[in-house]
Amino acid sequence: MKTITLTRAHRLAGVAAMMLGSVAWSGAAFAQGASSTNAATANAASANAAGAQANNSRRGGGGGGSSGGGGSSSGGATDPGVRGGDPGAGGSLQGLNDTELSFFAGAKDVFQEVDAVPNGLGPRFNLDSCSGCHSQPAIGGSSPPTNPQVAIATAAGATNTVPSFITANGPVREARFVRNPDGSPDGSVHGLFVITGRSDAPGCNIKQPNFAAAVASNNVIFRIPTPLFGLGLVENVPDSALQASLAANAQQKRSLGISGHFNINGNDTTIARFGWKAQNKSLLLFAGEAYNVEMGITNDLFQTEREGDANCQFNATPESVVPLQAADLASPSASFQSDIELFSAFMRLTAPPTPASGAAAPVAQAASTTGQTAAAATQTTGTAGQTTGTASSASTPASTASTMVASAAADVSSVMTAAAGSSTAAQPASSSTTSGASVTRGSQVFTNIGCQACHTQTFTTTKSQLTGQSNVTIQPFSDFAVHDMGSGLADGVSQGTANGNEFRTAPLWGVGQRIFFLHDGRTKDLNVAIQQHASRGSEANTVINNYNMLPQTDRQSIINFLRSL
Amino acid sequence: MRISLYLGIAACLAGMGVVLHGAILSSRDAGFIQSNPEAASITDGGFVSDYFNLSYRLPDEWAEGLLGPPPSQSGYYVLGTWAPKGDFAGTIMVAAQDMFFEPDSSDDVKDIVALFRQVMSTVDGMTIDREPSQVSIAGHPGYRVDFSGVGLFRSMFAIEIRCHVVTFNLTTHDTELLASLAGSLDSLVPVRKESPDPVPECVKDYASENVVHRVEPQAVGTRSVSVPVRLIVAADGSVKHVHVIRASAVQARSIEDAVRQWKFKPYARQGHPVEVETGMVFNLKPASM
Repeated sequence: MKTITLTRAHRLAGVAAMMLGSVAWSGAAFAQGASSTNAATANAASANAAGAQANNSRRGGGGGGSSGGGGSSSGGATDPGVRGGDPGAGGSLQGLNDTELSFFAGAKDVFQEVDAVPNGLGPRFNLDSCSGCHSQPAIGGSSPPTNPQVAIATAAGATNTVPSFITANGPVREARFVRNPDGSPDGSVHGLFVITGRSDAPGCNIKQPNFAAAVASNNVIFRIPTPLFGLGLVENVPDSALQASLAANAQQKRSLGISGHFNINGNDTTIARFGWKAQNKSLLLFAGEAYNVEMGITNDLFQTEREGDANCQFNATPESVVPLQAADLASPSASFQSDIELFSAFMRLTAPPTPASGAAAPVAQAASTTGQTAAAATQTTGTAGQTTGTASSASTPASTASTMVASAAADVSSVMTAAAGSSTAAQPASSSTTSGASVTRGSQVFTNIGCQACHTQTFTTTKSQLTGQSNVTIQPFSDFAVHDMGSGLADGVSQGTANGNEFRTAPLWGVGQRIFFLHDGRTKDLNVAIQQHASRGSEANTVINNYNMLPQTDRQSIINFLRSL
Repeated sequence: MRISLYLGIAACLAGMGVVLHGAILSSRDAGFIQSNPEAASITDGGFVSDYFNLSYRLPDEWAEGLLGPPPSQSGYYVLGTWAPKGDFAGTIMVAAQDMFFEPDSSDDVKDIVALFRQVMSTVDGMTIDREPSQVSIAGHPGYRVDFSGVGLFRSMFAIEIRCHVVTFNLTTHDTELLASLAGSLDSLVPVRKESPDPVPECVKDYASENVVHRVEPQAVGTRSVSVPVRLIVAADGSVKHVHVIRASAVQARSIEDAVRQWKFKPYARQGHPVEVETGMVFNLKPASM
């Protein structure tokens, strides 16, 4: 991006960018190198059409099947689809002071900037802004309903062919090749598009990778953008808390076939926790790597152009650096930050997603056919994504377990209203009370059958530099460990200590408002996503067996609960 | 922990609602000491674990489920999963935890079951239906705990074999089926009717003070990694068998090549040298450091 810029005129253009799963270069500090591995059978291009009914293929390899869609019925439970109403996401952490809020605003603006070649875009890239990929249900989220990668393919005169796995209504995707032509492991991101033909890239004549051949030879896998909400709080959970959590219910895990381990950073031996395989140690690293890999913009962390063709070099490198003169941002401090610092600041200062308010409310009865009754009524899980304990920051009013983000909560009845409108098999939602009961019951069933063994609900942050963010209780529903997810989800890409079969437990906060699920966005249907957890070699097989033994109403309750998050 | 186990067991899960077909698997008498826990197999319709000396023939209406994950870094194994071919009425999952690498530092199976009971009692909506109680499975003392919630009825049986806690985890939505599956554990039979050699004595941390000649593994790979390893020391102190539980192929080769050169002080029981099985963790450095 621009070297020492006086202005950031290209910013604030309103749209897009991406930090998908991320690659990190093996030689870089803190990065977890990516390579494909023969230890796993890569699901490769089959993921494009996957979405299995794993319960019907116990002896098979998993994977396969048909892609689901929001509002469809699968396995007897119906995903009502994306929860409507207020996004309840995209804003700043509650409790920040004015300086921090101003900094957040400046960072968010830069996060939405759209870049062209003079700003550093390319020579190879996947999109031209961060927020283009991270925009559902709000800036900082995941893949939007309309894929901006289709339009960018031919923007500014470019002549790119849109690969077959990129569709207008499909997920934003990055592509990784599993193997090199000589058969050795690859695993790195291959940019979908080139700047060839663009009016701002005269003389550049490089070609896109041959994705058609990669698809035909089953040599390409995909990743979709991970949501960024609340990551500053995740960043501030101490390793000791994660380790204690993993050990706390180890006995229960072992009765379920679950083990898991952390992706330990090779440089400082602490837990890496960001990205689909927890391959990125820090938000700054996450931002720097994505800026280079997804947008082609070299920066302070990743200084070198990945594409070396001399005819396609239009800028001095690194293209984005710390400005020595103030940019035109409202925040004075933000004006002297590099783009990747601002991207990481945006992630650090963004509030967790807000669950539907009804999920927190006690209800009169639980929807169940199993004889379990009002025991669920006092369940209090699924409350706000961010609460705070006794604040240690002097500038923050002390508050004991007070809810910080409930004000933006959507009504849980919208979950069931959507379900009722799209379902022929799901339980009817006659009232918001019933809806609340189903969601509450779903929370209990989710815990009881073992989902929470990995999708750990609650953590508490340690002392924070940010105002009001110390000792904050969060509910990410992830243990941030990596687990073997079996042949059906395996992508054959090894990153850090996560092998080709392993993925980080996907945080479930905000899942109610996401469109695409699993690392490659293979389905829009939560029930399909659940079933995809089971395949040959997966640690989740026993839990999915438990799920499949549940009565239909309880499976529906779990779906409703998830859509309330 | 010092436990000597002479195995004369095997498993055969059958019971009400499930019908055994054919005879029990024939005796086997070779190669068991060198086998590894994860080497359980389905042969001629029967489940066989040479390492744990467990065997049973799958009931007619039950079939092998999805394969479990590979061994974990803490020595946890999913040995097998079974479910009915028809209605998805229940599952059996057999697992093992290597007590040498037990993350909870629990000393014996009783403690482990008690801790499991405590954890499950805190799960929302879970009821402990049967407190941990002593049972005998194929001559092995063990413990059973039953629990239920959200319409699923579950039972865990735990026994100890070669310093591993082997668990049978039964789950159904039918209490009668759970009872029949639990009852079927009485019909366990051994892989080897007569064992020609005793199973090695298992001794935790034997390698920490009894190595008389040690060769360090070569640094390999690109990162530091902790690798759990089980090994069997022959009566003369030489290394008879090395089992690298979880590592890349190149890491495993490095460790195996080194450890096979080790010499131990022979282990004696009642004045007679015997084979001993122990475990240790190697902290491998990357080649680049």
